[in-house]
Amino acid sequence: MTKIADALKSNEAKILTLWTERVLDTYVSSDFFKKSLDRFANPVGSNIREGLTQLFRLLVAGATSQNFVEPLDQIIRIRAVQEFTPAQAVAPIMDLKWVVRQVFSEDKDCRSLLTELLPFDGDVDRLTLHAFDLYMACREQLHKARIRELKSGTYILTDSACASALVQKNLQETNKSCAADKA
Amino acid sequence: MAVIKKDELAKSVVEEPTLMTGSMPEKDWMDIPAVFKPGNYAYPTKPEKLEYLNSQQGVSFPNARAWNPEDEDWKLPENWQEIIIKGLADRLKRFRSLKIFMDCCVRCGACADKCHFFLGTGDPKNMPVLRAELLRSIYRQEFTLAGKLLGKMAGGRKMTVGVLKEWFMYAYQCTECRRCSVFCPYGIDTAEITMMLRELLHLVGCGINWAMEPVSNSNRTGNHMGLTPQAFKGNVEFLCEDLENLTGVKVNPTFNRKGAEVLFITPSADVFAEPGIFTCMGYLLLFEAIGLDYTWSTYASEGGNFGLFTSNEMMKKLNAKMYAEAKRLGVKWILGGECGHMWRVIHQYMDTMNGPADFLEVPKSPMTGTVFDNATSTKMVHISEFTADLIKHGKIKLDKSRNAHVKATFHDSCNPARAMGMLEEPRYILNNVLEKWYEMPENTIREKTFCCGSGTALNTEEIMELRMRSGLPRANAVKHVYDKHAINTLACICAIDRATLSTLMDYWVPEVSVAGVSELVGNALVIEGENRQELTEGLRTLV
Repeated sequence: MTKIADALKSNEAKILTLWTERVLDTYVSSDFFKKSLDRFANPVGSNIREGLTQLFRLLVAGATSQNFVEPLDQIIRIRAVQEFTPAQAVAPIMDLKWVVRQVFSEDKDCRSLLTELLPFDGDVDRLTLHAFDLYMACREQLHKARIRELKSGTYILTDSACASALVQKNLQETNKSCAADKA
Repeated sequence: MAVIKKDELAKSVVEEPTLMTGSMPEKDWMDIPAVFKPGNYAYPTKPEKLEYLNSQQGVSFPNARAWNPEDEDWKLPENWQEIIIKGLADRLKRFRSLKIFMDCCVRCGACADKCHFFLGTGDPKNMPVLRAELLRSIYRQEFTLAGKLLGKMAGGRKMTVGVLKEWFMYAYQCTECRRCSVFCPYGIDTAEITMMLRELLHLVGCGINWAMEPVSNSNRTGNHMGLTPQAFKGNVEFLCEDLENLTGVKVNPTFNRKGAEVLFITPSADVFAEPGIFTCMGYLLLFEAIGLDYTWSTYASEGGNFGLFTSNEMMKKLNAKMYAEAKRLGVKWILGGECGHMWRVIHQYMDTMNGPADFLEVPKSPMTGTVFDNATSTKMVHISEFTADLIKHGKIKLDKSRNAHVKATFHDSCNPARAMGMLEEPRYILNNVLEKWYEMPENTIREKTFCCGSGTALNTEEIMELRMRSGLPRANAVKHVYDKHAINTLACICAIDRATLSTLMDYWVPEVSVAGVSELVGNALVIEGENRQELTEGLRTLV
């Protein structure tokens, strides 16, 4: 894997640029998300950029899976609440395979490595599965938040009908039926 | 479903970006319809709530019916287009600001990337300029010569069901926080455009239940929750019992007491829901410590005014209740608790709607003698300015070490910050009750503060994803302070914030909980004759 790792490292800038661009292209207003580098003015763009950069460096360094959680979370937590299907939400991770192939095929020194990418693909696959776990954890968290808000009791108080209005309604209905009886 | 061929799938996964081409815009924005699906819209108003409100004096909420945004047919009244266009004409005549906002935008784009909904979704229709354009296009078509003659070429378009659906989608993807207005060189208040959109939608019976049920409850019992006077009083007394257990101080608030000097009004969530109740305990302790001659009202038992999110007539009616109660009780002035939009209503609309409140006196602190000239017309003082004034004059004793468990940052709630300039007072209080606290980055605080993402009655669980993505810019800044200083508390001065930021933090920065500034004051307060237990978590300590 060292040959691949070296090639990945030497192409880091190109790979990250292409990868980030393609991930941010999944947003309708991709231009703004790509251009603004202020992390507070552009939280989606900057978190995704940071997360992808981290993930790539960890992959190249052969880091253990625990290290991937934070940068993966940085990306997936956002996509889990945006209007993506589950597949679209985690697809950016898998897209790295395509990006690396694209960059390698344009670099004559790396072209020969295209057939040796299987172990790297395996790493990306594992990462994608992690991403899916995180996606599910985020969704679970959302559902729990929903339930907590429901259980907070506001409904018990607000969904009950007004007693005096009910009395009035009953009265009206009784009057109506009395009138109908008379008729 | 098509049969997936294994080799084709493998090829597409590694060589083609099929899943990645989610949402590139291929059409003009006017040609992209709003699509309603579970999770991206709040539930419509229950017909019985609307019928009740429509039966009330001074307001009009016609066309109550059961309808579903996901359905093709919204069961609109037959002449709905006429109703909308007439409604717009009427509002253009009555509100000069609306006419100006419709005409003066030069589409410079300064507002475009300032909206938290845009930043969280990337949906161009969440750019304030485009959200306003949803209405402006109809205005051009119907009310300008160029639009009448040239239609689409002049930026106009016909009022269709599609446009109405788009209005419903995006008028409820705006929290009227007004961050965009800070950046607009013409001072266009986009919140008021959203308010107009919502008013027009109400004319054809399209509103959301999370707004209208609290409005209906407030109109009926005086507060959002629909608490009866007995329940309201009971809840406050329950908090007093807790306070006595914690601090040994016996607090005896009064209710509906005629002749009190001050009427205190706060959001009902402070009386009823965590973490607001701890803020409420802070108020109760503070008033006891200084011996304030005040009363609660079980009729004006709500500071919040969801009328602001509904229609100007409804806002006026709910606001008037507070003043009617102040008059009935014969108080001198009103003290208001930590609420967001209540203060926008007071500060920006009350005076021309129901004011000036000449039957009240210009508020004067009985402890310090400070006259609150800023409230000369509305006669209503914010708890933070009142507390800051007490601290400034050395009228209360505070022990910062009692907040040793708190490492805080401060969220400027949109309305107090942007609608009334309440920037320094809460900071001054925090400086006096905490050893140290940390600011969030400059472009996310004060006038530029980011909204919690769930204001204007969007605090409902069916749109949880929407709330989480619109709250991302706020949470992202909190996360930054958390990473840097390991904070554990997000202080704020708004009841909606206390509810919504709690859920927001739980998703984005779970280590951080939310507290009202008055809770932190209550924690630090030293009261004569107290018999305080070891409160390692302040007023939240379970004893």
